[in-house]
Amino acid sequence: MRFPVITGVGIVTAAGCGVDEVWDSIARGASGLKPLSLFQSPRYGQVLAGEIKEDLDALGAPRRGSRSDRLGWLAARDAIRSARIDFKNGGDRAGVVLGSSVGGSFDCERFLEKLIKSGKMRARPARFHECVSVVDLIANDFGLYGPSMALAVACSSGALAIGTAAEMIQSGEADVMLAGGADSLSRMTWGGFHSLLLVDGEGCKPFDAGRCGMTLGEGAAMLVIEAEETARARGAQILARLSGWGASCDAYHVTAPHPEGAGAVAAMQSALRRAQLEASEIQYVNAHGTGTRDNDLAESKALKNVFGAIVPAFSSTKRFFGHSLAASGAIEAVVCIEALRRQQLPPNPGFASVDPAIGIEPVKSLQSAELTHVMSNSFGFGGNNAVLIFSNAETTARTRAPERGPICVTSVGVVGPGVPNVREIEAPLPAGKVEVFDCGELPRERRRSRLAQMALTSARRSHTPIAGERLSVSIGTGMGFLGAAGNFIENYISKDEREPMPSQFSTSVHNAAASQVAMDLQARGLNSAPTAGEISFECALWQAITQLATGEADRALAGAADELNKYLLSIGQRWGMWTEKTRPGEGAVVVNLAREGEIRVTALRLGRYRRPFDVAREAAWIASSVDLKSVDLVLSGAGGAPQLDAYYESVAAALSLEHRAYKQTCGEFHSASAFGFAAAVDLVKNGARGVLLYTLALRGAKAICCVQR
Amino acid sequence: MSVSTQELKTKIIELFELDDVTPDEIGDDQPLFGPALGLDSIDALELVVLLERDYGIVIKDIEAGRPAFQSVRTLAAFIEAKRPA
Repeated sequence: MRFPVITGVGIVTAAGCGVDEVWDSIARGASGLKPLSLFQSPRYGQVLAGEIKEDLDALGAPRRGSRSDRLGWLAARDAIRSARIDFKNGGDRAGVVLGSSVGGSFDCERFLEKLIKSGKMRARPARFHECVSVVDLIANDFGLYGPSMALAVACSSGALAIGTAAEMIQSGEADVMLAGGADSLSRMTWGGFHSLLLVDGEGCKPFDAGRCGMTLGEGAAMLVIEAEETARARGAQILARLSGWGASCDAYHVTAPHPEGAGAVAAMQSALRRAQLEASEIQYVNAHGTGTRDNDLAESKALKNVFGAIVPAFSSTKRFFGHSLAASGAIEAVVCIEALRRQQLPPNPGFASVDPAIGIEPVKSLQSAELTHVMSNSFGFGGNNAVLIFSNAETTARTRAPERGPICVTSVGVVGPGVPNVREIEAPLPAGKVEVFDCGELPRERRRSRLAQMALTSARRSHTPIAGERLSVSIGTGMGFLGAAGNFIENYISKDEREPMPSQFSTSVHNAAASQVAMDLQARGLNSAPTAGEISFECALWQAITQLATGEADRALAGAADELNKYLLSIGQRWGMWTEKTRPGEGAVVVNLAREGEIRVTALRLGRYRRPFDVAREAAWIASSVDLKSVDLVLSGAGGAPQLDAYYESVAAALSLEHRAYKQTCGEFHSASAFGFAAAVDLVKNGARGVLLYTLALRGAKAICCVQR
Repeated sequence: MSVSTQELKTKIIELFELDDVTPDEIGDDQPLFGPALGLDSIDALELVVLLERDYGIVIKDIEAGRPAFQSVRTLAAFIEAKRPA
């Protein structure tokens, strides 16, 4: 039995950089909120924000990457330092899972603004647009070659990343994980949350009777999570134990929480079950507590539901930092760990009087308390909820172990592969035509973007809901809702902050596809949107399999989807991403998984390859996980990025396996390996004994899995 | 100048992408939000943007708009009352 423990923390926020600075702000009750200065916002210029005013260069951040990437890098550096760990020799057993929702939006907005206002095209910032950019930067810089992915599930991303990393430790996938979240402020989220009328310009007042909205912030926090046995073996100081984690979906609304907090209750109960703790053993809850009318009311109902008449001490620390979206769950995890270490309860600044509808009062000032088990709540758009439980380092672990068993494919739903077509690129991007594989007209549903429609259609094709069945949904995406996000920001910038588009913003988060599928199929288990370049599908598959193995779901949907849009086509064409042999494509695949069936999924492994690419090392990695005698052929992502083709060829040759590719039929897009998986299932249905799916990502990630009878 | 309910209905259909609805099918007193038209809280926020864009009315708290968003008739009356001179 492997128990996850915390051996290092790093944190960068508006209320201080480093744990000591942050706790000093908490102890003094000093909020880090100040008027925005990161970018011009004439309309909302006086509104407070949790902006990091320090010069990131001076803090030591690399001069590469987006603002989110650089914030994440700083927190990662500090976490690794505090854990006194060096990955230079053991990086294969060390991975990275981070929450990221804004990604490189802030930097891409500057590029779009230049384009719109002065017609200048400087697309370099677009290199760091993807949410996984921060993961790749950290993994490559610090030498972590184990599993890596970003989770883009809006405001619960950071907490879900920490829970997912813990699962990787528990299952033996890795010995050490760097987990947390990073998000910068951006015009997108600034304009977006204002358009939802969810911002309190004077700063949030969580749980207060007069609360009227949230405050945006930015930041990053990282935990070093290790298997207890390896941490003890190297003599590491254990800061706390991660004893439980749980996730759920409201399956209720794209932005609003379930009014009774039903999903929040389910996530808290799931975390308690995993930790094998009674609710009465929790002594403090760091609430999500955004300060919006709806969230705080629903969360208070959920707390009363889970804890009964005696709700433990609780506080929202959002007014210290602002709501840093994907980073907030990780920031609050660090607050919980420090609360345990210092045996102090952090206060809830902004609270003055009890709301009769809420009826409970948060911690008002810093207090000493005996703390053994504490809980941290994070809830996000799409009704995606994640809850963590941290325990004192001295406690005996009770965390329930997963039971690994066979995982089977019961059906596959597909939209695509597309047909050859020509797409025209529209202004303000430089005009042009691109040959693509296009999925054509889709069933039209109101307010459903193309990507969500593709994901939903393939999910419906793969699954018919069964009453009472616990269903989890994990749908990976490479570029997510770049179309909706681009539309929103283009409109917002060109109209000088007038006429924001709330419907575009609310569905621009990567998890909008997974959460719309959950609403449609009433799937209330884990709901996730992993993003990891070309291995985004395999990451979703990993999450789905883990949900089944840990008994958290009876059935799990794993899928992936990406859409063609003008932003992607324009920049891709400019960078020469498509050759005569490859065309950009789009599509969606959803795979229905259960514990029983005729076609099995085996040997799923995630990792990163080294540069220069070492064929013998990669072949050995595959051979150590796969029973090659039961595999007929390798199906690879060849035919996409030309530089990867030779790698695939050489590794297949080194393994003496027949090599085939699938991108010639579906086109090149980040989640195309889902089509590879669907093709592998077809091959096995038609008589193949086993097919090895092998995927490399341009930025260093890799994945394998086998489909077998 | 008064706002016609007919004008509002046309705008609402366009704004909410109600492709299969004609202005005549929306009654002046029919509830806008709820099962009949299938509109929800995100649509209400879109309506807030429309009120500012077309009538110069700024709404900062969705609760302030709620009584006005009951029907096309209440919306027209709200615009009349709040519209800058």
